[in-house]
Amino acid sequence: MKTVSSLLDDHWYERYKKISKLNIRSSIYDVTNRCNLRCKGCFFFSSDEHKAAPEENDLARWEAFIDKEMERGVNLAILIGGEPTLCFDRVEAFYKRLPTFCATNGLIKVPRDRFPTMMIGISLWGDEEDERVLRGRDTFSISSKHYAGDPYTYYLYTITPKQIGKTERIIRKIHEAGLKVHMQLLSNDEGVSGFSWKPEELVAIRAEMDAMLDAYPETVISSKYYHEIITTGKMMGRPFGWMECPSVTQPLDQRDPAPKRLTNFIRWASDLTTMHRCCTSETRDCATCKDGAAHMSWVMVNKRAHMASTRDLQNWIEVYEMFAKLYQFLPW
Amino acid sequence: MTVAMELDQMILNIAAIMIEELKLEDVTPESFDPDIDLVDEVGIDSMDLATVALVLRDKYAVRIDEDDYPKLTTLRLISAYIHRKLAARG
Repeated sequence: MKTVSSLLDDHWYERYKKISKLNIRSSIYDVTNRCNLRCKGCFFFSSDEHKAAPEENDLARWEAFIDKEMERGVNLAILIGGEPTLCFDRVEAFYKRLPTFCATNGLIKVPRDRFPTMMIGISLWGDEEDERVLRGRDTFSISSKHYAGDPYTYYLYTITPKQIGKTERIIRKIHEAGLKVHMQLLSNDEGVSGFSWKPEELVAIRAEMDAMLDAYPETVISSKYYHEIITTGKMMGRPFGWMECPSVTQPLDQRDPAPKRLTNFIRWASDLTTMHRCCTSETRDCATCKDGAAHMSWVMVNKRAHMASTRDLQNWIEVYEMFAKLYQFLPW
Repeated sequence: MTVAMELDQMILNIAAIMIEELKLEDVTPESFDPDIDLVDEVGIDSMDLATVALVLRDKYAVRIDEDDYPKLTTLRLISAYIHRKLAARG
């Protein structure tokens, strides 16, 4: 029988031991239905999830809800929206209780005196031109000033097909701002012309993502195996899709056969009662979903499938380390 | 049959269940090390344990509490857990 220690040398085994007991149990929370941007391709608005449920405005109810979530075993709160920084009191209710990651467009600065070590991921959708087309303004010029040098912040760079050949300029700007970056691909939920991926573009961007990781290893939080998975949509020859996705809300998950999945994962709407189907849009075609977190989770929950060879298991370790670094369960 | 013998037999039985349910390769019930760490070394996760737990519930009419999963890290510990619950029932 193949075992972890039979597949790994001492160096890789030490790396494995650092992640093997992390037991990360995340869930996702829509903090608010409101946003200070309206981006083309934002699944939250394109699929009307902002209308799914009215916001809970009573802070005491948020606090009681979070306490129940912790009793349910959640040890990582991923806050999305809308724009969470519009509701700092709700964000603080999470932050005071458990490890919290806050996704933001970076236009409102999170006050570090109030949230000294909160993990922040700033969304970025390309260069100035792409940002203006898709988001109505160049957010980087603002967010990079707000967070320059911040040790708990990284950019979540959603790459579009129009970024092929241009990513280095963005990565360099992030590097020069003293920040980290993680890359994922636009799913183009609203079918904006020119922003859907063609097969040859996915091949090209995979090579470019690999090159960025090689050129900026201290800035880019990623792994080449993740690049392979997210650009090909395949893992071990299995295509990503509804019957494989690990990030489906557990109480709504009736799939048969049941795939490997995130334990106890739920994506909650901001009324604290309604559950969304999955970590992203219900209207998205799962076969073409490019959600980065779903793809890395897909790898992580399939550990035994990666025990056929040393290289496979090393790939699994690198993806798990990447996830753990993004949420600072491992230091950068 | 002594308690030790009962436990050894249960280890073999549960090893056979794990091999079949989890499709473990290159191992037999006899060669399955009862003290190997199932999570750290074999790569078994909580979903795998839940799958095995369902089969064990059917076979032994013993329910493994999900809160106990983290403690059941080896084949021997799982077997002892089931054995203990059966003994308590008389």
